Amino acid sequence: MTKYVVKRILLMFLTLFVIMTICFILIKLLPLPLIKSINKDVALQAKKYEQRGYYKPIMVQYYNFWKNVLTSWDWGMGEQLYTDRAVWPVMMQKLPYTVLVNLYSILIAIPLGLIFGIYAALKKNKWQDNVISTLVMVFTSVPSYVYAFLVQYFLCFKLKWFNPVVLSQDQAPLMSWKMFMSMVPAVLSLGFGVVAGLTRYTRAELSEVLTGDYMLLARTKGLTKRQAISRHAMRNAMVVILPMIIGEFIGILGGSLIIEKIFAIPGIGNVFVDSIAVKDYNFFMAETFFYTFIGLASGILTDISYGFIDPRIRMGSKK
Amino acid sequence: MKKLLALVLALCMMAGVVSALAEGFTPAESYDVGERKFDGGAITTAKAEAGGGEVDTERYAGVEGKDYTDEKEYTFHDYITATTTMDWNPHTWETNDDSSVLDMMTMGFYGIVLNKDKSGYAITCEMAAELPVDVTAEYAGKFGVAEGETAKAWRIALNQDATWENGEKITADDYIYSMQQQLNPKMKNRRADSYYAGDMIIYNAKNYLYAGETAYSLIEDDAANLVAAGTDVYLDMSFWGLVGAADAEGNAAPQYVSIADETMYRDAGVEEGQPEDWVSAKYIFDTYLAAGMPYESYAAQYLYTASIAPETSWDDVGLVKVDDYTIDLILEKAMEEPAFYMPYNLSSNWLVYKPMYEELKVFTDADGKEVATEEEATTVTSKYMKDVDSSFSYGPYKITYFELDKQISYERNPEWYGYRDGKHTGMYQTDKVSVTVLGEHATQILTFEAGKLDGVSLQQEDMAKYASSDYIVYEPQSYTTKISFNTNYEKLLEHGTGSQILVIDEFREAFALCLDREHFATAYTSAGTAGFGLLNYQYVYDPFTGAAYRDSEGAKEAMVDLYGLSYGEGSDYATLDEAYAAMTGYDMELARKKMAEAYDKAVAAGIWDGETPLTIDFRVYQNDTIYVQMFTYLNEQLQAACEGTGFEGKVSLTMTVDADYYNTMYSGAADSIFTTWGGAAMAPFTMMNQCYTDAADGTGNQMEYGFDTDKIELTITVDGNAVTDSLRNWTNWVGGSTDAALVANLEGVLGKFSTYDYSTRCAFLAACEKCFLSYYTTTPVYYRNVASLHSQRIEYPTYQYVMNVGFGGLAYYTYTMDDAEWDAFIANNELKY
Repeated sequence: MTKYVVKRILLMFLTLFVIMTICFILIKLLPLPLIKSINKDVALQAKKYEQRGYYKPIMVQYYNFWKNVLTSWDWGMGEQLYTDRAVWPVMMQKLPYTVLVNLYSILIAIPLGLIFGIYAALKKNKWQDNVISTLVMVFTSVPSYVYAFLVQYFLCFKLKWFNPVVLSQDQAPLMSWKMFMSMVPAVLSLGFGVVAGLTRYTRAELSEVLTGDYMLLARTKGLTKRQAISRHAMRNAMVVILPMIIGEFIGILGGSLIIEKIFAIPGIGNVFVDSIAVKDYNFFMAETFFYTFIGLASGILTDISYGFIDPRIRMGSKK
Repeated sequence: MKKLLALVLALCMMAGVVSALAEGFTPAESYDVGERKFDGGAITTAKAEAGGGEVDTERYAGVEGKDYTDEKEYTFHDYITATTTMDWNPHTWETNDDSSVLDMMTMGFYGIVLNKDKSGYAITCEMAAELPVDVTAEYAGKFGVAEGETAKAWRIALNQDATWENGEKITADDYIYSMQQQLNPKMKNRRADSYYAGDMIIYNAKNYLYAGETAYSLIEDDAANLVAAGTDVYLDMSFWGLVGAADAEGNAAPQYVSIADETMYRDAGVEEGQPEDWVSAKYIFDTYLAAGMPYESYAAQYLYTASIAPETSWDDVGLVKVDDYTIDLILEKAMEEPAFYMPYNLSSNWLVYKPMYEELKVFTDADGKEVATEEEATTVTSKYMKDVDSSFSYGPYKITYFELDKQISYERNPEWYGYRDGKHTGMYQTDKVSVTVLGEHATQILTFEAGKLDGVSLQQEDMAKYASSDYIVYEPQSYTTKISFNTNYEKLLEHGTGSQILVIDEFREAFALCLDREHFATAYTSAGTAGFGLLNYQYVYDPFTGAAYRDSEGAKEAMVDLYGLSYGEGSDYATLDEAYAAMTGYDMELARKKMAEAYDKAVAAGIWDGETPLTIDFRVYQNDTIYVQMFTYLNEQLQAACEGTGFEGKVSLTMTVDADYYNTMYSGAADSIFTTWGGAAMAPFTMMNQCYTDAADGTGNQMEYGFDTDKIELTITVDGNAVTDSLRNWTNWVGGSTDAALVANLEGVLGKFSTYDYSTRCAFLAACEKCFLSYYTTTPVYYRNVASLHSQRIEYPTYQYVMNVGFGGLAYYTYTMDDAEWDAFIANNELKY
C-alpha cells in the first residue's frame, strides 16, 4: 500500500508538472492585451511588459517562473487582475471565505442527505419515499442560483432574518456567530443541491444493498434490522457514497462563482475565470497549480479511501 | 463487373462535384467603391475674440447649518461591482472606481464644482492658492519656449494650508518628488502618459521617461508606406516564436528585428531540413505579413517603428520649483483657452507621500528577482496606495478599512485644510463612507430597497417598476453606441459568408434607415435616448458657458440634412428646430428602395450572384437577455428592409459572442460590431481625428475597418471659396493636430482652426461628422444615459444633471436623517421607491 501511495504521489507531481508546462506555454502564446484609448501611450504599456520580461523567449520565462516559485514561492504580481499585488497572498486572502461557506454548507448537508436517503430507502415505494424523491428531483433540477435569489428575497428582504449579503471582516470576525449567520443564506443555497444529491445516492445504493442475499443471512443469523443495516448494508453502500462525500469536501476549495456574486462573498470563485478572460499570466498559473494539485490529490485520496471502507479492495497489489 | 461499376460510379460522383464547383459562383476579386467626393456645404466664418472667455469662479456655498461640525453621524453607503482591477496609486490608477477612491483622499489643484446658482460649473482653487498665471515670457529661450510665445509656462501658487494626514505641510518639493516618481523611467507608471499624451504636455516629460531607450511603437501606417518613406519597420519576433532563436553563429535573435534584415534564425519548432527550418525577419514579413499575404491582419500587432529618446536630465523637464510654495509648469505646446483648460487639466493631482512611497518600492532585476536597491534594479514597482497601511491622504477623507472584493470604508481626515479654511462650510455633511462590493444587480437592488445603500444604478428591466419613482435621476453620458461595419472587400471575402455585401453603400444605408432608434433606446436600455450623431449632447464646445455641440446650429443642420429632412418655405418644417425635433432616422420605405438599389449594384459588380444566401456576423460582448433582444430586433428590421427586394429571404444576421470583439474588428475579422466612443466631453473637436479617422486598417482607434478617410474628398465652401482636402485631413485640422503632413494644406488656406469662433468651429466639425456618417460605415443607434435611484434620506443640491459636476457630488449631499434615525426608520418601515 505504501509503495502504491508513494508511486501515485510521484506520478501526481509528474502530471502536475506536465499540465503546468502546457498551460504556461499556451497562455504565453497568446498576445498580451494592449488596450487602445484616447490620449494613451500604448508603447508605455508594452515597455512595462518588456521590463517584466514578458517578451523574453518563452523557455527563459518558463525557467524564471519555476525558479521564483521553487526558491521563494513567488508567483509574481497581478498584471491585469489585482494590479501589482502579490498573487499568492491575494489567493490566500480570498480562500477562507470560500472554504467557510462551502464547509458550513456540506457539514449541514451531509447528515441531512444521509438521513433522508436512508429514510427513503427504508420506506421505499411508500408515500414518504415518494415525497422525498419528488423533492430530490426538484432540488437536483433547479440550479442553485435560483434558490439563492429566492432565499435572498424571502429570508433576507421580506422576513429580514438575515443580512442580504455576507458581512465584511470589519463588521464581524470571520470565525464568529455573527459572520456565520450572515453566511446562512449562501449556505442554504449551496446546501440544497448537496442534500438532494446525497439523498438520491444513498437511497439508490441502500435500496440495492438491502435486497442482497447477505442481508437475509444477517437477519437469519439473529441480527436485528437496525444491526443488519448499520453493520452490513450501510458499510457496503458507503463504498459509493463516501467518495462522493470526499469529492464534496474537495469541492469546498473551488467556490461557486454565482453564489459568491449574489451574496457578495469575496471568495476565490471568480478569479480563475477572470484571469483567463483578462489574460493575467500570473494569476492563471497560480490558480492552475492550485486547482490541478487539489484535483490530483483528491483523486489519490479517493482511491485510498476505498481500501479503508472495503478491506476487499487492495489497490496496487499484484496478487 | 462490380469493380467496374464502382469505378464508374466514383467517376460520376467526382464529375458531379467538379461540375458543381464549376457552376458555383465566384465573387469578383476586388471591388472599387469609386471616387468619393462629398460636398460639405457652405460656411461663413467668424474669428474668435482674442483672450478667450472667462471662467466662473463663484461656487455654490452649500446648505447653511448642514456643515461638518454637526454632531450627529452621517454615513454614505455606496457600492462598486468589483475590486479586481482596483489600484488607487495616483501614478498607476486606471478605472472610474480607482478615481472614486482618489477623489476621497486627494485633491486637485483646482476643483470643478456647482456654480453659485447651481445651473452650471465653476472653477475653484483647492491645492492651488490662485488661478494659474502665464509666465511664458520668463522662460523665453529655455524649455523650448521661443520669444513672444504665450500660454506655455504657468505659475501655480500652492495652497499653504494643505497638509498630509499626519499634519506635515505639503510643499513644492513634494510636487517635484512626486512628478519625478510619476515619470520614473524604471517604473513606467501607467499614468505617466497623462503628462505627455494629452492636451497638457509637460516639456520633456516623455523624453525623461524613455531617456536613452529605444522605444518601439506599433506602426500607425501601412508598412509599405513607412518603408517607402524611409522609416525602419521592425518585426516582433515573438510573432514566429523566434525571440532568442540562434543564428548560424549562435547569436540569439532579439525581440525586434528589422523587416529588411536577412539574418537567418533556426526555428526550433521545424525539423532540420524541412521548409522554413531557417527563417529571417525579412522572409516572415514578405511571406506572411506584407500586404496581400495570409497574416496581413496581424501586421498591426507585430510590426513596430523605433525611436530613441534623447538622454534627458530632470533639470530639463518642465516642472520647476520657484519657492517652497510656488511651482512653474512649462508645456511643450501652448494651452488653448487656458483660462478654462489649465485648471481643467489640473483638476487632479500627482502627489505621493515620499517616506511611504520610498518604503513601499519593490526592486527587481531583469529575471524578476528582487534586488536591494533601485540602482541595481531594472524594474521598480510601488505598493503605494494598495490598502489601508499603504495609503496616505491629503483630501477630505482617509481610508480606514479595505478588504479585497468586499469593502472600503472612509472617515473624515481631520487634517484636511477644507475643514478649517472657512471656504467649505455648508459642504461635506458626510462623516463616513462605506463602499461595499456588490457584483450582482439583483443584490444591489434588494440591498438598496432594504435601506442599506444610498443609491443604485438601474437596468432596463428595472424601469417598469421605478420609471415613475420620485427618487429616480437620469445621468447622461458622453458615449454613443453605434453599429460599425467592416468595409474591406478582401477581408470580408475571406470570411466566406457573403458578407462582402457590406461594401455596397446603399446596403448599409438601408440598414441605417430600417432602425427605429427611439424604440430601440426605450425597449433595450434603461435610460438611453435615440442617437443620431457620432457625438452626443454631452460634448461641450464652449467651456466658458457649457454650451453643447449637439445644440449648435451647425450640428443640428448636419443631422437634419443627413436624415433627409428640410425646413423653411415649402418644406415640411418651418424651422430648423422643428425639423430637428421631428428627426427619427427611421424610414422603412426608403430602406427598401435602397435595398433594391443595393441588390442591383451588388449583382452588377459581380460580388454576389443574387441567389446565394448571405450571412452577416454581428459580434457582441456577451449573450445576456438584452443583447439577444437587441440582436433579434436588428435581424428582424434587416429582414423587413429586405422584403420585396432581391434580398428577401437571402440575408440574415448572426450573433457571435466575442469578448475581444474590438480587436477582432481591428484585425478585419469581424463583419459588424457595436462600437462606442466617448469620455472626452470637453474636447469635441478632437474626437473625430482621434477615434474615427485615424487608421482604416485597425492600427489606431477607428473601428470602421476598411473605411479609408484619406480617400474621401471633402469640399467645404468657406466664405465663398471652395476648399478641398481629404476627410482625414479636415478632421485633423479641426482636431488641432500637430502633424504637419496632415494639416499643412488646410492651415495654409484657412489658418489655425482655433482662431475661429465657436459657431464656426462647430460648423466645420458638423461638416466632417456629416461627411463621415453619409457613407454609413457606422450607424449611431442610441446615446447612453444612466438611470439611478437615490435613497430617501439623501438630498442632492440639484436634480438637474450639470455637466462636469453631475448632481453636485458627495461634497454637497445632505441628509434628512442621521444614521441612528435611519436605522430605526428602516427597521419599522418598508421603503417604497
